[in-house]
Amino acid sequence: MKIIVAIKQVPERDAQVRIDSTGKWIEETDLQWALNESDAYALEEALQFKEQHGGEVVVVSAGPERVGSTIREALAKGADRAIHTDCNDLGERDALGVARLLAAAIRTEQPDLVLTGLQSDDLGYGQTGVILAELLGLPHASLILHVEKSEGGITVKRELEEGWFQNIELPLPAALTIQSGGNKLRYATLMGIKRAKTKEVRRLTAAELGVADEPAVTLERIAMPQKQKSTQILSGTPQEAAAALVEKLKFEVRVL
Amino acid sequence: MVQMPLTLAEPAHFSVVERLAFAVLGVASGALFWRRFGPILHKILESKRDPGFRLFPLGRRIRDFTWEVLCQAKVIRERPLPGLAHAFVFWGFCAFALVTINHCAVGLGVGFLSSEGWFSRLYFYLAGAFAIACAVGILGLFVRRFLVRPRWLGEKLSWESGFIAFLIFFLMVTYLAAFFVPAASHAAALLWWLHTLTLLVFLPIIPHTKHLHLVLSPATVFLSRGGFSDIPPLAGDEDFGLVAGADLTRLVSLQAYSCVECGRCTEHCPAANTGKILNPKEIILGLRGYLNEFGPKSAEPLLSKHIELEAPFQCTTCGACEFQCPVGIEHLPILVGLRRGAVNTGTWEDDHGAKLFLALERGSNALGMQATERDKFIQKQDFPIFDGTQEYCLWLGCMGAYDPKGREIVADFARVMTYLGTTFGVLRKEKCTGDPVRRLGNDLLFQQLTEANLDALAQNNVKKIVSICPHCVRTIQEDWKEYGLPPEVEHHSEFMARHLSRLPKPAQQETIVFHDPCYLGRYRDVYEEPRNIIKGAGHLVEAPRSRERSFCCGAGGGLAFLSEETGERVSHVRASELAGTGAQIVGTACPFCNSMLRDALTATGTSAPQLLDIAQLTARALPRLDSGNATSDVRESN
Ligand code: SF4
Ligand code: SF4
Repeated sequence: MKIIVAIKQVPERDAQVRIDSTGKWIEETDLQWALNESDAYALEEALQFKEQHGGEVVVVSAGPERVGSTIREALAKGADRAIHTDCNDLGERDALGVARLLAAAIRTEQPDLVLTGLQSDDLGYGQTGVILAELLGLPHASLILHVEKSEGGITVKRELEEGWFQNIELPLPAALTIQSGGNKLRYATLMGIKRAKTKEVRRLTAAELGVADEPAVTLERIAMPQKQKSTQILSGTPQEAAAALVEKLKFEVRVL
Repeated sequence: MVQMPLTLAEPAHFSVVERLAFAVLGVASGALFWRRFGPILHKILESKRDPGFRLFPLGRRIRDFTWEVLCQAKVIRERPLPGLAHAFVFWGFCAFALVTINHCAVGLGVGFLSSEGWFSRLYFYLAGAFAIACAVGILGLFVRRFLVRPRWLGEKLSWESGFIAFLIFFLMVTYLAAFFVPAASHAAALLWWLHTLTLLVFLPIIPHTKHLHLVLSPATVFLSRGGFSDIPPLAGDEDFGLVAGADLTRLVSLQAYSCVECGRCTEHCPAANTGKILNPKEIILGLRGYLNEFGPKSAEPLLSKHIELEAPFQCTTCGACEFQCPVGIEHLPILVGLRRGAVNTGTWEDDHGAKLFLALERGSNALGMQATERDKFIQKQDFPIFDGTQEYCLWLGCMGAYDPKGREIVADFARVMTYLGTTFGVLRKEKCTGDPVRRLGNDLLFQQLTEANLDALAQNNVKKIVSICPHCVRTIQEDWKEYGLPPEVEHHSEFMARHLSRLPKPAQQETIVFHDPCYLGRYRDVYEEPRNIIKGAGHLVEAPRSRERSFCCGAGGGLAFLSEETGERVSHVRASELAGTGAQIVGTACPFCNSMLRDALTATGTSAPQLLDIAQLTARALPRLDSGNATSDVRESN
């Protein structure tokens, strides 16, 4: 069984992001990077599946040179090899553009299962995995917590609202987007990192894959969230003020 | 020359048969000794070389050897009575060396100390005096082991120890008796033979029992790494710590065979005393058992048959064992080495451990909080950002930046610095020093954190660091050295003690019991500074176990982040001991101790003493400025 996990490198959770001079992207120098959280769960699910049923786990990641460190982390945790699709314009590509890059790299592998995280912690489109399934022509399910092997394919557990779950049967090959929190993540080890050095990382450029970038959506401008703190003093007698407060909580803030 | 009443009687002459018999028995005894000792020596020498080991400079080694072996200082200081008894036996043995050589030489007809010459006479008297002391000493040790039976010596009575004690006693008696029989008599010959036979029985027993320490421990003390908890660097791409026999180094193997099973380590171990599986003595004996069974080239995992996987992970790295051990065994590099082996290869699976590691892989602090929480705290306290113009970089540490009580301590220490007019600033961004992951054996994370921090400090041109956390101080000063040159660093107790004369004293004088943090005391040798600060703030009370013998709070070695599952809580034991002194305040100097004791003291009952850091004790007496209201702010915000 060959499992592909598409992973993304995103700014570290505690990173202080600043907007760069173009106003269209963040300043990347001095930024620390990490593996996107739900992708880490996708990788964990793939590794556990492989540990139970055997096979191979291949990670695919698109992005510039810096992505190499995140790829190595995935290899250190137990992925067998990696494909790095080299591109410097990740921020300008829309979800379709990125999915096209990944699909081109994945197609040659003929995988049985393709996993991605549900969405990225930076842009948060939540579309790449779904579009990827479409491009690869695979059946697809999203918001997955667990994958289990069944008779003719796999059974997946989806998380719905309010503590409801749904179990679905899927044939293989299939593509799934994985939700955070379904597993306990493993920590990276020194031995893993050392062993990762000898694992294969194939680098492919967008040109080699024959994928041109024709974005349907472009980023115009990015902005920091504005901090808003407005204090209102309610005047009048205590009774009047309390009545006004209830009014506001009911109709303005809608918490009552 | 003064006529001396007693002379040592020696047999007149030896027949050829006697000489032959002596020679044969002597060779047989030596051969039996070697048959057991040879393989042990071989196992030690066959072990891997110690990475980073340097024999020179010798000065330190000679000093330790003189103090710990020749003077028996550690043996005596930590257990005065049995220690002294042991010292007399040891000195007796030393004094006897020459006598014994001569004794054997006599048997071969080449005795060189004649009982007539004044030097030999004097020497025999001296040896006689030591023989008496030695006999009394061994008798005392015998009584202790077989009648008093302290539980540290183990449940089982060791009959071989009794037999050895008897042999030593008999050696002394047969020597002394020879002063009271006529020279060249049958009695003299009988005594000579009894003494000799005892010696020849004694020799081959040595390597079979813990008395092997007679031969090995002087070397162990001389060759020890020396630094406290001196964790060796990993050598090459295939070294992940102590995974299997092939990872045992010569020093570790030598130490494993040197243990004299005295149980001092266990007596002081917080884990062993609260019902955990870990027992430091059994760790060392477990390694010995492993070496005996599998040898130093084996691929068999160390953490299986002879040592349980959980055992090293229950260690608080308090260092009481390493500090106590009289034969120079260094437990911490071994315990941390075993953890390294399990963590660096991913063998150790623990939910809390994995959570800590993931928090530090993805974030900046061991508490798993957002770094923005630190930013908010800095803003709220109005701490200046370090820009290279200030004297000190105030290192907040995970506890100081994210823990509510730790924040109070930092805020109060900042007030003290401000009052003294010392300039300081905090780093805009700071990562965990890596203390918990270093002790838990995660070298990958430790290296990443160290390098990121060293980088940030170099970029900001930091020259001097001060911190409220002894764990940060130790890790920055000693452990970071593996990856670069850290700036100068000191603990806030050292800083405040230096400026004590300029700090105001509080009006009310309460009784304060001081809890020595392991990482400040045993690790850094700082005992007086916090005490001087406390003496300025109230009446100092000493806990039953204090200074070098202080009992851990249970937080060290990353254990603050794991769950303490078996047995009694270490912190509760310590908290009741501190509360039992009747002091009104428990004074601490470490935010981890503070955090552990905080809950534990509440659990001890309603009249629990107040818990305050030395920074808080000092800041209490500072005049309240309008702008210096920072402390109360933090309290409200929690
Ligand atoms: S360091 Fe402390 S807790 Fe660990 S084994 Fe030694 S005495 Fe016990
Ligand atoms: S390790 Fe040291 S302190 Fe512990 S029993 Fe052995 S000799 Fe004694």
